[in-house]
Amino acid sequence: MVSVSLQDDNIRVKVPKGKTLRQVAATTGASMEFGCRVGDCITCVARVKSGMIYLSEKNEKELKALEILGGNVSQLRLMCQCYVRCEEGEIVISYAV
Amino acid sequence: MVDLITKITKSVDFIGAFDPKIRTFDIIMKTANGSSYNSYVVRGSEGVAIMDTVKKEFSEDFFKRLEFMCDYEEIKYIVLHHLEPDHSGALIELMQKAPKAKLIISGRAVMMLKGLIKSDIEFEVANTGRIISLGDKTIEFLSTPFLHWPDTMSSYLHEEKVLFSGDVFGSHYYDERLFDDEVGDFSYAFKYYYDHIMRPFKQYVLQALKLYDTFDIKVIAPLHGPILRTNPQFYIDKYAQWSSEAKFRKHEFGKKMLSVFYMSSYDNTHLMAKKIMDGADSVEGVVASMYDLASLDEQNMIDLLEESDAIIIGSPTINGDAVKPAWDLLSCMAFLESNGKIGASFGSYGWTGEAPEMLHDRMRWLKFRLPVRPLKIKLIPTEDEQQSCFEFGVEIAEITMGKMVEMEMEI
Repeated sequence: MVSVSLQDDNIRVKVPKGKTLRQVAATTGASMEFGCRVGDCITCVARVKSGMIYLSEKNEKELKALEILGGNVSQLRLMCQCYVRCEEGEIVISYAV
Repeated sequence: MVDLITKITKSVDFIGAFDPKIRTFDIIMKTANGSSYNSYVVRGSEGVAIMDTVKKEFSEDFFKRLEFMCDYEEIKYIVLHHLEPDHSGALIELMQKAPKAKLIISGRAVMMLKGLIKSDIEFEVANTGRIISLGDKTIEFLSTPFLHWPDTMSSYLHEEKVLFSGDVFGSHYYDERLFDDEVGDFSYAFKYYYDHIMRPFKQYVLQALKLYDTFDIKVIAPLHGPILRTNPQFYIDKYAQWSSEAKFRKHEFGKKMLSVFYMSSYDNTHLMAKKIMDGADSVEGVVASMYDLASLDEQNMIDLLEESDAIIIGSPTINGDAVKPAWDLLSCMAFLESNGKIGASFGSYGWTGEAPEMLHDRMRWLKFRLPVRPLKIKLIPTEDEQQSCFEFGVEIAEITMGKMVEMEMEI
């Protein structure tokens, strides 16, 4: 399993491949903000401080959302869209963008 | 007949609308003094910018004032700091009348705009640091999200040191004298607005204030109520104080507050509450308290919820549901910020026992951190079960004190 640290909440959780970060938030009771939960509203944008390679590729919705945000978005992801794609690894996430 | 001239600074004029008769705003807010939908025009040597519009029913006043101040061809930018309908109600008509104007919104406003307009219109996104020019006037944008919608932003007119703050620093207070030094006493409206609109987003208020602090502000032009020009810092300080108030206990002892709220039919949930409180209280740095929901009124609930770092709610299950005071308690979270607060639930039950799980689910939607599963006990807690309650309290208190939560998700 991949270790996901949610820095702002002091939570570290082992996550099986295929789970979205939204599911991680729901399971752990993390305090990250969500809006539409389907990739439209950009509310759940967060910073992946390390371990981006263990997450899924950005899908069309994410790419569109990040383009709207503009600036340096290389570390940003929509928590409702990205999912853990590996069996092992370590991901660190901060809600502050 | 509307008064067409209301000069704010040399290059900024008020073109908003007054709503003296409104008595309830957004369903939940009482507006004893009516309100205003503030909109402004900023004039530069190379065109004008319109800062927000008004509620649709008040478009006529808005356009009368706007047409008195400028021609539609002059409008270079339309800025929407916040898309709620009381500020975007005249947008479509304005864009039709000023087709050359560029609409500027925040990134998080994009989908809201589509939801409101229901058609594709062109816009540009402004993040912190984005600057637009009107020739001899410069407007800089500041991302100030979640105040009180995700889309909200602010902007700053450099040459005249005007902060367009969106709903931040607003008041529902109708008074056509408009300036804080000329209107009647709007202090209660200013605080009431903060309590009902901004209080749930305190952490974002503090982030915005940090951003505002980098600017020299002479005038604050909010979207509702008086324009604040006598001593803007006074209002900024009020927001800072209200958003960072050290609470009674924490202030006094530097401790974390953990509150156990409960209701009990046969004393079993009460016994669980007592053991949980004892467990929590045994953890260094935590002050645990317990409250019988049967005897709390709404204001007590709001204050206690706000003061608490961790909230544990106990309810028996009656006819497959938690008891009404438990739901009433959670409904008070509408006035507060739950992010970062730790939540948990428990209860004794005789038959089906859904209440703790239902409260847990409700708290999840209210964005509590819920690091432990609900604790249910069938009827009278045994000695071992009482020990489980004690340990439940210890666990939650330790997490409240910063213990890393280690979890594993099921495949």
